[in-house]
Amino acid sequence: MYDADHNRTESRVSQNEIKISSRNVQVYYGDNHAIKDVDVDIEDRLVTAFIGPSGCGKSTFLRCLNRMNDTIPICRVEGDIHIDGEDIYDKRVDPVQLRAKVGMVFQKPNPFPKSIYDNVAYGPKIHGLAKNKSELDDIVERALKRAAIWDEVKDRLDASGTGLSGGQQQRLCIARAVATEPEVLLMDEPCSALDPIATGQVEELIDELKQNYSVVIVTHSMQQAARVSQKTAFFHLGNLVEYGETEKIFTNPQDSRTESYITGRIG
Amino acid sequence: MTDATANAAPAAGRRTSKSIIETDANTRKRNAAEARFRYYGMAAIGVGLFFLCALTFSILRSGLPAFTETAVTVDFTLSQEQFDEAEGQVLKTAAYEGFFVRELQAELNEEGASDVEVSEAAVGRIMGKVGSQIREFYRANPDRLGEEVSFTLPASSRVDRYLNGNLSREQLTNSRFLEPDDLDIVDGLVESGVMVNAFDWGFITGTDSGVDNPGGAGLGASIMGSFFMMLVVLVLALPIGVAASIYLEEFAPQNKFTDLIEINISNLAAVPSIVFGILGLAVFIQFAHLPQSAPLVGGLVLTLMTLPTIIISTRASLKSVPPSIRAAALGVGASKMQSVFHHVLPLAMPGILTGTIIGLAQALGETAPLLLIGMVGYVARQHPDGLASGLLDPNSAMPAQIYTWAARSDPAFYEKAWGGIIILLVFLLFMNAIAIILRRRFERRW
Repeated sequence: MYDADHNRTESRVSQNEIKISSRNVQVYYGDNHAIKDVDVDIEDRLVTAFIGPSGCGKSTFLRCLNRMNDTIPICRVEGDIHIDGEDIYDKRVDPVQLRAKVGMVFQKPNPFPKSIYDNVAYGPKIHGLAKNKSELDDIVERALKRAAIWDEVKDRLDASGTGLSGGQQQRLCIARAVATEPEVLLMDEPCSALDPIATGQVEELIDELKQNYSVVIVTHSMQQAARVSQKTAFFHLGNLVEYGETEKIFTNPQDSRTESYITGRIG
Repeated sequence: MTDATANAAPAAGRRTSKSIIETDANTRKRNAAEARFRYYGMAAIGVGLFFLCALTFSILRSGLPAFTETAVTVDFTLSQEQFDEAEGQVLKTAAYEGFFVRELQAELNEEGASDVEVSEAAVGRIMGKVGSQIREFYRANPDRLGEEVSFTLPASSRVDRYLNGNLSREQLTNSRFLEPDDLDIVDGLVESGVMVNAFDWGFITGTDSGVDNPGGAGLGASIMGSFFMMLVVLVLALPIGVAASIYLEEFAPQNKFTDLIEINISNLAAVPSIVFGILGLAVFIQFAHLPQSAPLVGGLVLTLMTLPTIIISTRASLKSVPPSIRAAALGVGASKMQSVFHHVLPLAMPGILTGTIIGLAQALGETAPLLLIGMVGYVARQHPDGLASGLLDPNSAMPAQIYTWAARSDPAFYEKAWGGIIILLVFLLFMNAIAIILRRRFERRW
């Protein structure tokens, strides 16, 4: 992180504990070197935004953090990623257990074609978080409340999750993700399929979620990154160019590429 | 468009503008081509509909008479003495025939048709072997001696065809089976109401008869044969096919070997069914020594034939489940298997079931492979008795039975073959209707 030969500047002034630390991460898609030498420390209880032009590798890197890239056969990950000091690519790590700890919300709202209740209850059920029905009810209610959608759906928990509006679906997906009590929440462009009002609601929600979780959000919108995140990482062509406090990145970028991107000259 | 002159000021916009109300030549040509294409399409559909109607009409016209049967109903009282007397004779059935003719004449007289005179010879031609049928009844039920018993006995197939209008008097010259004079008796019997042409349940429930008795032939035993074959196909092909497709689609690594398997499955779907028949003959009968003509073997052969169809349709419906559902399941920490069985498979189920039913319908109508394992040509003379007997006892199947009937010389069997086709088509339509209903019911919900 502090090695000088990298074309990257670092400016961190934070007291939070490090949740995820990655060192020297390389990702290959077949012969394509998609992520090069990414070192990053993601802190607990704040929002970290990954920004950068399309194809810069920010989503790829995000998907490394809960090993979703395992499902792509040609994808190969090298380097170390530690969560709470444990190597997530260790042979003994079961990705299923990891994903319970590191929840994920996807770009397109993808509720299961089941009832709202079943959508949220599915994770706790397969992880055995509830001993009985009333405990499960509690978990579902808590998750829906945390995702700020409880008031809208509490009277129709048996209705299909796919029948909700786009913004509601995305908040349902967030509820589904937080229902398994994760410690990290990964969000891959969670608002790109939503209208401005729904986006506002989800952003507000992200701001609240940071009290309990370490949130990592990938976004195309620099305004969004500026609004919701405390730390920002700028990716370009597979490199992590600059990482630091959001305010600094946007007002006083150290790297010329970052400046070009946030002023709209590249990307 | 291009005739704007050089000295026209561009700012003035003096481009000659074409009216959009007048159609130009190019548009007219395009519209004409479109109209022509519509007519071609309608013509193609028209031709299709015409042939469909022609086929339906000819099937119904030739096949419906097979569902009716001409029968004579006579109330009969046989005393113990008459029974003993008949049993004591050398030609026992002839004695019963005598009783029957006497009763029939009495019935006719009662109905006021005493001018119709029946003889034993004529009854033999019109009704066939009535004597033996009556004798068998009384030998089986000796306690009914002395009471009045109502016998409904079928007339011969030629009488059937005469009453259905498929046999004219002129065609009867030189026939030892039915003489023109007999037709007068038939007319008399019909007029007096003793002979009735009625719906014949025996055709649907009964068993096949010998070549000399087309009227008594029924499809029931071979329907059961087909049923047991379909049972074998369903029990084997559905789980094997679905398991294979889930593995190939969701778990198998993408490499040369799985590519090879994929190509082979596609090829298997196109292999002629008779090839599966000869494979079944070699493997199941000659090598494994399973009984010939058994629905178990037929079912095994049809399973091999149906598997590729089920695998291909199952894989297609698994593929059509959006990847976002899989990602969502993995994202909340479901294992690969949980994501498949909790989310992907339920969503793919309607497609899988539709494919399976279509595959079964295809197998139900398959004749060629049955040819080689001995299910064609076998006369199904009895109903299977329970599951084991249904699977292992020799039987025929619907299409095989139809083929057997069509191959017999008596024109009455030809009629039965058409009737069998109607039953087979009803089954197929029924299965396809279920497939359509399933598809509609569980339309994709995302």
